[in-house]
Amino acid sequence: MSRWRYFIRRLVLAVPVVFFAMSLVFIVIRMGPRDPVAAALGQNQNPELAHRMRVQLGIINPDGSPVPLWDQYIEFMVDLVTLSFGQTWVINRGAGVLDLILARAPVTIWLGFWSVLIALLIGIPLGFYAGLRPNSMPDYFASFSGIVWRAMPNFWLAIILSRFLVNTEGLSYDLIGVQLSWSAFLVETNVIGTPDLGNLGDPMALLAAIKWILPAAIVLGSASMGNEMRIGRTAVLETINSDYVETARAKGLGRRVIVWKHVFRNALIPLVPVISSEAFVLIGGSVLVEYVFALNGLGKLTFEAIRQGDLALAGALLFVFAIFLQVVNILQDLLYTVIDPRIGYEQS
Amino acid sequence: MSETTDVLPFTQRLRSNPRPALLWVGVLLVLLALEAGAIASVAVTIVSGLAGAVASGAAAVVGGPVVPSIGGAIDAALTSAGQVANGLPTLLSRDAIPNQGYQTPDGAWHGTFLGLEPKHAWLLRVVVVYAYMFGLLWWCWRGYRLYVRHYRFADWTPRDDVVDRLRTHRWGQFGLVVVLLFVGMALFAPAISPMTAEQNLYNAAQHDIEYYDADSESVEKMSAFDANLASASRGAGSVNVNPWQYDDFGRFHPFGTMTNPGQDLFTFMAYGARVSLAIGLIAIGVSIVMAAGLSMLTAYYKGVIDLAVVFVSDSIQSLPGILLLLLVSATFQNHWFGQIYNGGLLLALTFGVVYWPGLWRAVRGPALQVAEQEWVDAAKSYGQRSATTMRKHMLPYTVSYLLIYGSMSLGGVIIGVSGLSFLGLGINPPIPEWGRAIATGQDYVTTPAWHISLLPGLLIVIVVTGFNALGDGIRDAMDPESEGEDADAGATAAGGGA
Repeated sequence: MSRWRYFIRRLVLAVPVVFFAMSLVFIVIRMGPRDPVAAALGQNQNPELAHRMRVQLGIINPDGSPVPLWDQYIEFMVDLVTLSFGQTWVINRGAGVLDLILARAPVTIWLGFWSVLIALLIGIPLGFYAGLRPNSMPDYFASFSGIVWRAMPNFWLAIILSRFLVNTEGLSYDLIGVQLSWSAFLVETNVIGTPDLGNLGDPMALLAAIKWILPAAIVLGSASMGNEMRIGRTAVLETINSDYVETARAKGLGRRVIVWKHVFRNALIPLVPVISSEAFVLIGGSVLVEYVFALNGLGKLTFEAIRQGDLALAGALLFVFAIFLQVVNILQDLLYTVIDPRIGYEQS
Repeated sequence: MSETTDVLPFTQRLRSNPRPALLWVGVLLVLLALEAGAIASVAVTIVSGLAGAVASGAAAVVGGPVVPSIGGAIDAALTSAGQVANGLPTLLSRDAIPNQGYQTPDGAWHGTFLGLEPKHAWLLRVVVVYAYMFGLLWWCWRGYRLYVRHYRFADWTPRDDVVDRLRTHRWGQFGLVVVLLFVGMALFAPAISPMTAEQNLYNAAQHDIEYYDADSESVEKMSAFDANLASASRGAGSVNVNPWQYDDFGRFHPFGTMTNPGQDLFTFMAYGARVSLAIGLIAIGVSIVMAAGLSMLTAYYKGVIDLAVVFVSDSIQSLPGILLLLLVSATFQNHWFGQIYNGGLLLALTFGVVYWPGLWRAVRGPALQVAEQEWVDAAKSYGQRSATTMRKHMLPYTVSYLLIYGSMSLGGVIIGVSGLSFLGLGINPPIPEWGRAIATGQDYVTTPAWHISLLPGLLIVIVVTGFNALGDGIRDAMDPESEGEDADAGATAAGGGA
């Protein structure tokens, strides 16, 4: 099977999975006990507005007769597939759902980009370092901190970090007698709130945007960082004890060549699924991290939509996330075959 | 068959050498008698809970006046049984070692155990509780060794190797100790918390405390609600009861107090541990049962069933679990089903549904391997029923994997529940939950009331690390081949989910 046929097969297999996942979401939203209209409009609702909303959501026909659940389901699915998500009812009432999602997405993408990058740049080198020096003090230290780092709840870490950064001035004055301010460090930024991503071409604005997102990205990347560290360590340990490394050593190859050419490349293979599973952590974790750091991104939007009963918006967001995660999964499988041609297409 | 004839049944082996067993049972009975009151009251509580559930279920189905009267009779009987149970002596109760009292100006404490300082009285009680718990467990462990030495027919079984490996696995033992401390905290919450839950969490206004008033130079009574409020940690201002301090009313707070209405943080955490543990166990129980059942079916029949389960589990896993949990708990927020156990049952079941695909994936491989074995074929051709084959010849090989992944996922459930409660969607107040403690303290992290958010978070980290370590330990003990310690890191609970 060629790479392209494999790719297309994966794509076709992903469709029913997303379809079924969205059916589950439909069951919870439409068959669950929550009335979307009451949730959106409150107790004293305007009957005319409520009627209009019910019609727009597809729960009743314009003449007031209820739409059968089966028809609701078909309409729900067709709307998702054609990306006609309708309008919001609670958050920014009247705005188009798709416009809202597109407006909020950049912050989440910016956050996700940096959290993946930080996790990769810190986690993998630390893991490789520990793996090259097994059972030494640095190894124990790195392994132990990786384990603990991973067990930390994101939301707690976010609270502690954000509150410390907000109060760096007072705290540093109390501790060392000098006022050090995180907010004034390099460029003036806030800790809580949404960074301005409008002008990333300007170096100062870029620096400010990076500095702004950094604490949240560190928190969001923390769990993956721990994972990458541990897996990187084991992978290096395994490859360094393998026969071909032994052979290379017997051949008289220098340590540097062995490590860089033979060990690291192969040790990267088991890290591929971790990087893609980061996508899950990113989307799940962004709900809490964006909530704590008051970042106006998709995670916070999802939380608000779900809590305030804007179920049309919530359904659309979950659909977008499901698609995104499937794409990441497929890319991961492709990446596998590119990095390691030994992995066949047939097995998966 | 001729071999089994010279194997004596267990009862006969016991009868031929009863001394060690009798000694062991005697000591066990003494240990249990110390806690007779608590065991009896737990039994009564469970029975009355079941009876209440049955009665309300029957009332819903049948209706009519008969059921309530029967329910009333059962209720009365159980109440009196409960009173009898409360009358039995209990070593590990707050009444045996009271730690609440007041200090007169001469420095003497009144109302505490032997006139000890409340701090020491409380510490003593905690030490006694844990000593009892570990003692009991050690005795059970001794009982197992005794059985191996004197009564087991086989000299060696594979399980001996597992136990031996676990005995040298320090990391796993660390996890076991942490998990036991956590479980002890949950089980003995009424005994190890410095204050009663009623006085502290649920019904403070109905309870009075005694304290020595320096102004009037006499012992005064005060409602616990006012006392709590007066000793709440609010960050700014003069009143902050930090960990390991007394408040103005002579009450000792090992973890300090929370912000308004000023609960004792340790009491909150101890009862919150109960909630976390209960939800975690139910959730993991549900997902283990589902994963075990489905893995048997898919491995045995393969084909369409396997494909269907792959499809369903992929679909559930195609969205991050925390989003599905958010959606479900928000949808059921005002529904009666979301109110059972203050939202705990709904959460636990949802976690079960979200977690089984991961567990099933973990045991699918081993289950498929076992299904290929000759003995399964033999059992089939022998005419054994499929269900029996799965249960007796396949399931035992997957149990170890289920245990490992179950232990590792439990930490994830604890993090998830606290994350949802932090967002205000998990367990409803006033039932304590660790995530809510973090939420109430989030504005005080850099103030003198830093402990409110910091300590619960640290406890979560420690407990989750403990469950992960225990899972590592069980895995290494069960399957020494799996030295690749991180091949299954995906199962390990990580904070990234919440």
